[in-house]
Amino acid sequence: MRERVRSLKSRLVTTMALLFLAGTVVMYLAARAYGLRAADLSYDRLLAGSALSIAETLSVDGARVRVDIPYAALDMLSAAPEDKVFYRVFGPGAQTVTGYEDLPTMPAARSRREEPSELPAPRFFDATYRGDVVRFVVLGRQIAQPGQRGWVWVQVGQTRQAREELAGELVLGALLPIALLTLLALGLAWFGVARALRPLGTISADLAAREPADLQPMTVPVPAEVQPMVQAMNGFMRRLEGNLASLRSFIGDAAHQIRTPLAGLRAQAQLALDEDDPGEMRRGLVKIERNAARLTRLVNQLLSDAMVMHRADARRFEEFDLVDVVKRAMRDAVPMTGDVPVGFISSVARAPMRGDAVLLGEAIKNLIDNAIRHGSPESLGQDAEVEVALHEAAGSYALTVSDRGPGIPAGDRKRIFDRFERGSTQSPGAGLGMAIVARVAASHGGTVELEERDGGGLVVRLVLGSVQ
Amino acid sequence: MNRWCCLALLFALSPALAKEYPAHGAPEGTITLYSTLDTGVFEPLVVDFQRTHPGIAVRYENLDATPQYERFVREETAGTHRADVLISTSMDLQVKLVNDGYAARHVSPSAAALPAWARWRNEAFGFTFEPAVMVFNRAAMQGRVVPQSRAELIDQIRKDPAFWRGRIGTYDISKSSVGYLLASQDVRLSSEFGALVEAFGDIDLQVEEHTATLLKRIEAGELVAGYNLLGSYARARPGSDRNFLLVYPRDHTLVVARTVVISKNAPNPALAHKFLEYLLSVQGQRVMAAQSGLPPIRKELDGVYERLGVDESQIGVLRPISLGPGLLVYLDPAKRRQMLDAWRAILGGTR
Repeated sequence: MRERVRSLKSRLVTTMALLFLAGTVVMYLAARAYGLRAADLSYDRLLAGSALSIAETLSVDGARVRVDIPYAALDMLSAAPEDKVFYRVFGPGAQTVTGYEDLPTMPAARSRREEPSELPAPRFFDATYRGDVVRFVVLGRQIAQPGQRGWVWVQVGQTRQAREELAGELVLGALLPIALLTLLALGLAWFGVARALRPLGTISADLAAREPADLQPMTVPVPAEVQPMVQAMNGFMRRLEGNLASLRSFIGDAAHQIRTPLAGLRAQAQLALDEDDPGEMRRGLVKIERNAARLTRLVNQLLSDAMVMHRADARRFEEFDLVDVVKRAMRDAVPMTGDVPVGFISSVARAPMRGDAVLLGEAIKNLIDNAIRHGSPESLGQDAEVEVALHEAAGSYALTVSDRGPGIPAGDRKRIFDRFERGSTQSPGAGLGMAIVARVAASHGGTVELEERDGGGLVVRLVLGSVQ
Repeated sequence: MNRWCCLALLFALSPALAKEYPAHGAPEGTITLYSTLDTGVFEPLVVDFQRTHPGIAVRYENLDATPQYERFVREETAGTHRADVLISTSMDLQVKLVNDGYAARHVSPSAAALPAWARWRNEAFGFTFEPAVMVFNRAAMQGRVVPQSRAELIDQIRKDPAFWRGRIGTYDISKSSVGYLLASQDVRLSSEFGALVEAFGDIDLQVEEHTATLLKRIEAGELVAGYNLLGSYARARPGSDRNFLLVYPRDHTLVVARTVVISKNAPNPALAHKFLEYLLSVQGQRVMAAQSGLPPIRKELDGVYERLGVDESQIGVLRPISLGPGLLVYLDPAKRRQMLDAWRAILGGTR
């Protein structure tokens, strides 16, 4: 099952569309609030003007409040041509002087200051009257006549149709450019993505046109945004090529290393077969056995090298105790019938670290094996001891393997870590031991150094980072 | 059953003159019209309407403007919805019906073709174009200068009060709602109206409720002039040209549009809309102009001024009364009382 991945184009356009939509909704709400406020502001002035012109005509005639509504008072409200108009003049108290008697009164919360001492400003409110939402204004006039005292109120209302229309116009005026811009931006994104992704096409064409073995870095010019991807691919190909090269050289090396001893072995076997004297034949067989053992060791080392190479690249690290690994390696590497004593000194009881225990074990085995093989000339006898020591210092472990062998001249110390290189040409081995050690050390971020041992011999110092 | 009893009772009580025009096709229903127009004047329109809508029966009830308004509001308040369509000369009362939420919306191309002043909220529509004129008795004015404006009329009265005394008539604004509407607009628009009324007061103004009575008295020579009369009535009378001299005041001539409103709670709203659409259509306007003698409002009809019996240059400034909330002002009880008081005070002993 392939996971469905949406195209960049639809991803980009959808995201943008959602963003613009959210923006438009916010803009709409803001524009509508603003539009209504603006519409109310302008039409409220008209409404207040109307109420004011009615209030101008208020007079008291004896006990009666008189009002002479000017024609203009209601006619001026025709500025909102389709809106109904309601009015009422009342007071003192709730007594209606003229107009619609059943007009809604001001909401209680706002009419608390029922009888203000000074001339009150016109007060506005919305209320439903005869099925329509109506915007009302109320303003008061104080009358002071003998026997007649108090406030007379003029209330004028107008339905909200013109206000809604004006608000709608304002909203449209604000939203229309945004909507057009949105469409333009989405269109640009739609066609722009195809244009922007054209370099990817160039890269695919370049890759498709290559020979299978061509792992040369890509040199097609690409925009800066695509550069990291090309670099990553080039890096990947470089590593692939490195792997392929080491695999190729390993196979070549292994074939070469195995072919010569195998040919020798065969020649010796033929010689032994031709021998009639059982004593000579036995001597020949002994030689064959010795050479076969050497070949076995070589093959083991080659396999070990291959394993180390693979694991070092894989880097499957976990926590383990280095002391354990050293002890196990000693058990494996020190022959049961050993004439050479191998000692182990550790300044720590446990040495926790992070790494590949198998690899380290392999490296340590090789070191010990080398020490026993090269560092124990029979002449030295008991003196030819091999010492393995583990110390901890400053967040790292120093593992030293010392022997009493001839050592390695300072000039050869670098070369010894290359594969198929031996300290001296006469010594047995494939020349892979130190190369393995060096590789393991490198994969653990550690170092290998060769030193002169006090009193003669070689010290190999492997420094590894501890877990802390 | 109960409902029919109620209807019958109402019908019996109402002083209206009702006439039924039964359907002559597959019956679709009956629409009820309340109208201030004389049944005879309106009849050609109903007949022509039924030609295209044979299934619709029409009940036509002729009432005066104020009783019609009061009856309709009374019925609406009581919940007995009878009227589908209301036609009235009282533009102000029709505006009040709309303002108070009694009217239904009607949107159509024909309605949109009306001039802006003749429609309000797509609920009230003016469908005639009737200037208010000064009507003179042609014979009585023989050899005299015919006043062409209010100022000239005042001038004439001041110069020769004896001639005019008791010989000028107009509507009794306390009874005639169209008279009240016209007078209120005169108050608003004319600086000379006050002086005119004062002059009227000095020469014993004659007032009548109905146009027909005034026209009859002018015909008879009892009156020399009628002020602010709807010209259409004068021209509809036989021998109009012989008897009358119509003057469109040069300072300003008020124009009234008979106004039609569909009741919000019309029993037959669909049929009511059909009827209104017919009334506003070019066809309806043509029939109205040709057979009812009412000047049409639609500009599409040629020769509006010829139909009015004058050529355009003779008419001064035509001031159509605009449908809108302004008309509510003079319906205000306090305002009306003041205006009537002032009117009576100036006219002094009259009536």
